[in-house]
Amino acid sequence: MPFRLALLALLRHKARTMLALLGIAVSAALLLDMVMLATGMRDNFQGFLLLRGYQLRVAPKGTLPFDSDATIDSAATLVAAIARVSGVVAVSPVLGAQSQTTAHDSTVTAFTLGIDPRVQGDYELLRGADLADSVSIVANERWLALTRHRLGDTVQLAVGYDPQLRTVVGQRAFIVRGVARFFYTGTTQPTIAMRLPVLQEMGGNARRDHVSLLMVKAGDDVDVEAVRARIQAAGARVSVISLEGATAQVEQRLAYFRQLALVLGSISLGVGILLVTTLITIGVNERAGEIAVMRAIGVAKRSIVTQVVTEGLLLSGVGAFSGLLIGLVTAQWLERILADFPGMPATFRFFVFQPHDAGLALGMLGSAGVLAGIYPAWRASSLPIAGTLRREAVA
Amino acid sequence: MTRALVAAALGALWSLASPSVRPLHAQVIDSAPTHPSVVRTVALDARLASDAGLRLGDTVRISAAPNDTAAERVVISALLARRADPSEIARSEYRARLHLDQLQRLIGYGDRVDRFAIRSTGDSARGSLLRTINDAAFGFRAWPSAEIAVRTSRTFQVVRRFHRAIGVITIVASAAFLLCILLLKIDERRRDIAALRMMGISARTIVRSVVLEAGIIALLGSMSGVIFGIVMARLVNWHFQGVHRTTLAFTFVTGETVMLACGLSVVLGVVAGWVAARRLVTVPALTLLGR
Amino acid sequence: MSALVQVRDLARDYSMGSGPVHALRGVSFDVEQGEWVAIVGPSGCGKSTLLNLLGAVDSPDAGSLTIAGERVDRLDDRAATTFRLRRIGFVFQRFYLMPALTAAENIELPMAEARIVRTERRARVQELLGYVGLAGRADHRPSQLSGGEQQRVAIARALANKPALLLADEPTGELDAATGLEMIDLFRRLNRDGTTIVVVTHDAQMAAAAARRIQMRDGAIIAEAVT
Repeated sequence: MPFRLALLALLRHKARTMLALLGIAVSAALLLDMVMLATGMRDNFQGFLLLRGYQLRVAPKGTLPFDSDATIDSAATLVAAIARVSGVVAVSPVLGAQSQTTAHDSTVTAFTLGIDPRVQGDYELLRGADLADSVSIVANERWLALTRHRLGDTVQLAVGYDPQLRTVVGQRAFIVRGVARFFYTGTTQPTIAMRLPVLQEMGGNARRDHVSLLMVKAGDDVDVEAVRARIQAAGARVSVISLEGATAQVEQRLAYFRQLALVLGSISLGVGILLVTTLITIGVNERAGEIAVMRAIGVAKRSIVTQVVTEGLLLSGVGAFSGLLIGLVTAQWLERILADFPGMPATFRFFVFQPHDAGLALGMLGSAGVLAGIYPAWRASSLPIAGTLRREAVA
Repeated sequence: MTRALVAAALGALWSLASPSVRPLHAQVIDSAPTHPSVVRTVALDARLASDAGLRLGDTVRISAAPNDTAAERVVISALLARRADPSEIARSEYRARLHLDQLQRLIGYGDRVDRFAIRSTGDSARGSLLRTINDAAFGFRAWPSAEIAVRTSRTFQVVRRFHRAIGVITIVASAAFLLCILLLKIDERRRDIAALRMMGISARTIVRSVVLEAGIIALLGSMSGVIFGIVMARLVNWHFQGVHRTTLAFTFVTGETVMLACGLSVVLGVVAGWVAARRLVTVPALTLLGR
Repeated sequence: MSALVQVRDLARDYSMGSGPVHALRGVSFDVEQGEWVAIVGPSGCGKSTLLNLLGAVDSPDAGSLTIAGERVDRLDDRAATTFRLRRIGFVFQRFYLMPALTAAENIELPMAEARIVRTERRARVQELLGYVGLAGRADHRPSQLSGGEQQRVAIARALANKPALLLADEPTGELDAATGLEMIDLFRRLNRDGTTIVVVTHDAQMAAAAARRIQMRDGAIIAEAVT
């Protein structure tokens, strides 16, 4: 009966109930989006780094991967040393450089990766063949579009271009063997990959036996942090960054989003609670006579409290469920906006829906609904019966 | 909130693919001032000075890599306050300004620069200068500053769109809440309105007075909101300026914001007032009284 | 055998802005099982205060009140609520039905609160609707019923949990003369069937129909008459 009475009380004023539901639904949508933004980015970033299962990154001392021009020298020795570290199952060296190619009177500058195709963790091949030999390259769609090349084409690539002297350090012909999707570069960034020794050779002395980054995979049953410590002990001139370390550093830089999410989520929740409280309090005031009569005929305080809190829960519950649907749609919209960030990797998602997020948002709104019902419920249950009936009779 | 932080925060992600920073390493060797003619001077980030306990006049060794044999002694001659630049706000590295030749020598750059700026005498001169430089095109290209600003502000434009989208969502929710509260507020007056009707006051007069009342409530409410917003903006700025050690204004209430808040609220107030009043005056007065 | 209702020196004061108001000044009387008592008197004489005390919706400042062997004046709020639910039936001048519920649901409400099983509730609702002559109005909402019909539903609701005592506050106050007479007939039938009734009324015909009249003035009983 309390549920039915609560439902009927809400249906009695359809316009105000619908408006409140709309407001709560939109607030719930915003809350869900902000929860998705706050937790999704972190989880997504971890998944983003773990795309090929490499849990550790080895970068030049004091830098983040590709955060500076700095490189690691004597790379072959370091790779061999790290491969010997207990618990390490694979080491993937990566060298980054800019390469130029001329296409139709313009020069296309591409971010170029030198990798070992047996252990590479930077791209997935979409079509064509991988880097079978030293004349092969794989490229992303953007590079192909800008250079207007196709699979099988032969291209001239230059590395170490000096714009002032118009000289290059190395220049060679390559065959475009494959089309790939690169995980860590933006979709608008033209990107290619070739075998590591080839890029090192083309880079001249500055690149010979140098790498920008090593990605390290530890065994599944191994303590990754222990492996990280062992590698760090083996290489004093590098920084070994674990997933947690990288996440912590990025999280520090992405603090804005968490704070934005926290502020907007809290405001949504706070305003929602205020609205539901106001709505139900006014409803209780309007029905003071009815409530007094119910108490007079023997309806317990507990039942009145249940009825009023149920009203709050119904409002916030229905609003929250509608809000979840709206939230998923608005998250797509916001994702499309943020995906336009220059250099944003295609694999990165800001908004990741997880049942846990929906549960958290629903839980917060449910608690908000109960919270919102407490004050009016207290008012309703503590109405003086005789006095209220007398006032109602006079009115 | 600020669009600045977003841009800088995102820098963390795309820095994976866009190398730009040339790290230098500084080591304090003593705190005694040395003669400027012997040792070159350097301007250091005030945050670095504060964190490392350095003062003006201190001598430090500076190099491209730790323990680099090519390290040079420099005297701190100036402290740099951090620029109120949104794109730098979340980057934690310190900045230093060296004499060009010294930096070139330290990082083995030879007689090279990444870019240089040219000041022209006016718009027409700038155009012809650009053409001249680009036609001569000896391995570099000249860009007008405005164009570079547009190219580099794409990040901020995305953030602006993101903020606007969130703003739209917030406004929809606020509008629904505002309409709801105003309907409630006016619905509470049903007995007064019934009494006025029974006294012979015309429906038109009642609607007018209700609409006026709703408009005034909405305006007063939004003005309180603006005051609250200004206080919150100050708190936010105080907090984030402390966290990021910058003078950058993270959030501020503009005239446009105030106009939007007050305007929207008054329009919604008037609409809600009109709808509610029309509903009430079309119901017989006795029904409003519950008879 | 003791009386169903025993009122002894019952007093109730209210604090108003101008000082305390003595609404009841030591009232004593009994109501026997199956009796129909009308309490009459001018407005403000304390009739409704007395009815509220009898119905355990208010507590006396002094005196004792025993109904069906239970000291009502000593009940705390929770016990008083249960007492009202199980032992008292209330009928109000303005009916006070739940506007959102149908006639049947209004009658069902106290039974649902008393945790009576649904099938039994439904059967009792039908029985009561038939008793008050509204068998065909079960699914009508209060707004679809006349004043007399609403008051019949209110009486059926008051009888739902088979109360020991039916209290009515001006039950004909909102009804026209003809409907008022119908209501008096219904009360007469109820009393004949064994219901103990205490009614507060200004209606001379309703008062005359009762077996006993208690006349009040200024918070005190000034006369009693038996028909």
